[in-house]
Amino acid sequence: MRLWALIAKEIRLLRRDWHAIAVLFLMPATFLILMAFAMSGLNREQLPPLAINLQVADSSADSAFFISALQAQLSDSKLQHASDNQQPSIRIDKNFSTHLLDTPHIGPSLSFPAATDHLSRQRIHSAVTIALAQTRLRAFLMDSQLLDEQIPIDEQLFLVQARTQSELPQYDVLSSGNLAAKANASQLSVPAWLIFGMFFVMLPMANSFQHEQQSGTLLRFRGLQLNVATLALSKLLPYIAINFVQFVALLALGVFALPALGLPALQIGDHLSAYFVLALCIAMASCSLGLLIAALAKNTEQALLLSAGSNIILAAIGGVMVPKSIMPIAMQQLAELSPMSWALDAFLTLLVGQGSTVDILPWCLRLLAFAVLCGTSGLLLFRRRVQQTLWTTHN
Amino acid sequence: MLTLNNLSFRYPAAAQPALSDINLSIQAGECIGLLGANGAGKTTLLSLISSLMQPSSGSIEWQGPRSIGLVPQQLAFYSRLSVQENLNLFADLYQLRGNLRQQQMDSVLQATGLQPLLKSYAGTLSGGQQRRLNFAIGVLQPAQLYLLDEVSVGVDSRSRQHLLAYIQQLRDSGKSIIYTSHYLHEIEAIAARIVLLDRGHIQCDLDTRSSLKQPQQLLLQWPEQLPTSLVAFCSGLGLRAEFSSSSVFIAEISDQQFLTLYHFIGAQAQLPSKIEYGQPTLEQFYLNMTGGAL
Repeated sequence: MRLWALIAKEIRLLRRDWHAIAVLFLMPATFLILMAFAMSGLNREQLPPLAINLQVADSSADSAFFISALQAQLSDSKLQHASDNQQPSIRIDKNFSTHLLDTPHIGPSLSFPAATDHLSRQRIHSAVTIALAQTRLRAFLMDSQLLDEQIPIDEQLFLVQARTQSELPQYDVLSSGNLAAKANASQLSVPAWLIFGMFFVMLPMANSFQHEQQSGTLLRFRGLQLNVATLALSKLLPYIAINFVQFVALLALGVFALPALGLPALQIGDHLSAYFVLALCIAMASCSLGLLIAALAKNTEQALLLSAGSNIILAAIGGVMVPKSIMPIAMQQLAELSPMSWALDAFLTLLVGQGSTVDILPWCLRLLAFAVLCGTSGLLLFRRRVQQTLWTTHN
Repeated sequence: MLTLNNLSFRYPAAAQPALSDINLSIQAGECIGLLGANGAGKTTLLSLISSLMQPSSGSIEWQGPRSIGLVPQQLAFYSRLSVQENLNLFADLYQLRGNLRQQQMDSVLQATGLQPLLKSYAGTLSGGQQRRLNFAIGVLQPAQLYLLDEVSVGVDSRSRQHLLAYIQQLRDSGKSIIYTSHYLHEIEAIAARIVLLDRGHIQCDLDTRSSLKQPQQLLLQWPEQLPTSLVAFCSGLGLRAEFSSSSVFIAEISDQQFLTLYHFIGAQAQLPSKIEYGQPTLEQFYLNMTGGAL
């Protein structure tokens, strides 16, 4: 009953502390959205559609097939019969069909306005190469009477594509730790600022303890002979619960709000239990560190400095503010010292590598070891601080 | 109810003990006024009694279960909780349930006049109202001994009378109280016993009712010179008086002697500007005992 009363009090106080709410929810949500926009060009899974001019001088079935095959390669792009020199152009010569099976073959000519980016040029080049290969294969099959010229072009295309399909199994090596390089803006931004926000529970935790010590409520608790474990749990449990609320709310922001803003949606996958384990490990680490900071600080100014300062430093070296994948090697090695980096790696394993609980276990164990270390030293210091809380009188 | 036996305490690395050989016995229904200059050891004594610290030597013996209610000098509550939420929180921590909880709540709300403020946030209360809440939280706990530290600082005089009346009520219901205050007249009003600490020792432990029953004193002061015949008149009455050029102090005077002297003075050409007649107050007693030390 006493523990529950203290927990209820802590939650009630937190609900009325708008500064804490802003630090725990509003600030990470704002950073999350802003940084997702800032990194929106990174590793987009769906590339932007292109507008391409077609200049077709050949009216054969071969060139018609080529255009169909090209459209299939660039399904979201617009192929238009125009001569706008502001767009990339593909010119099909009048001898296209005649020389189709010549070797070496000179295919359609491509021209790009100077402003066309490298990636768009590559996409068009690859699409034309594949469409041309398929058109040549069709011509070969026709000559060999393996393909009936009378069937519609889209069916011909289907048959040609079937002959060129191949299965290339692909596996992600999750332990490579380089998943950040493959992550898109949402996959980088959501976990990074979610972890940052979760570790910010240090601030209200430390402030709450300072207030109790300075106001004399801790003196009353000591007078009631409340044990240190009850007092420590009354701080830890509500903030672990707050961490879970942050985890769910900010993930939901990634899943539902970011796509509405035109950013890639966060794909959670099927391993929900792995997310629960990860949330618990991050919460244990952040709240244990919060307990340590609360016990270390001797006044509210120190509490603010220690909690905000350590959070920002851990975030800066841990790959929250700048993705580890673009850090120099030395900084990447330094990042390994930050629990935020471990949490981030585990998150990317789930989000990018579609990993399971087993895959994130190494990072979870590190976070738990950190929690045990901070929790034990925090508890010892906390006990000492509680015992140092004495009666003060001014007369 | 509580006995302190040869209680001593020395802070780590301190040259002198904060308390030395304190022997004190507190009975049920007894209210003790704890006095002493800064550094006399009051804080240390309160901390030891409330088990916030352990004595270096000596012992504290409780007759019956240990139960203490604390009202610290600091405003020990949550300013972002309402008055009701603060009281409910501490009622839960005191493990009060059922009828006893309701009785205690009603009793402290009546004593402190906080009933109309139950929904107000503690942080929005005036200084005096916050003091009353601080007091209410401490005495909400059913205890055998209450340690009350400066409970009436900043409280208006009417509310102070309510608090003092409640403390007297606690005392009369058999609860023991240790009370510290700057206002010595409050201690005089509620404490039947005074313990004066000086540099870690009990300088005196006395019953105020008997100790303050000293002879009446008289102080007379004139704006200019004493009446010329006053010295001879006092001598004729057998009074031992100390004279200065414009005042006279008589340390012991009976009511009959005072009346005679009063009529004599009234017949003089110039009347005194100040007349103080009565028993010495606790404040005078305290200043005499401590020599005015802070």
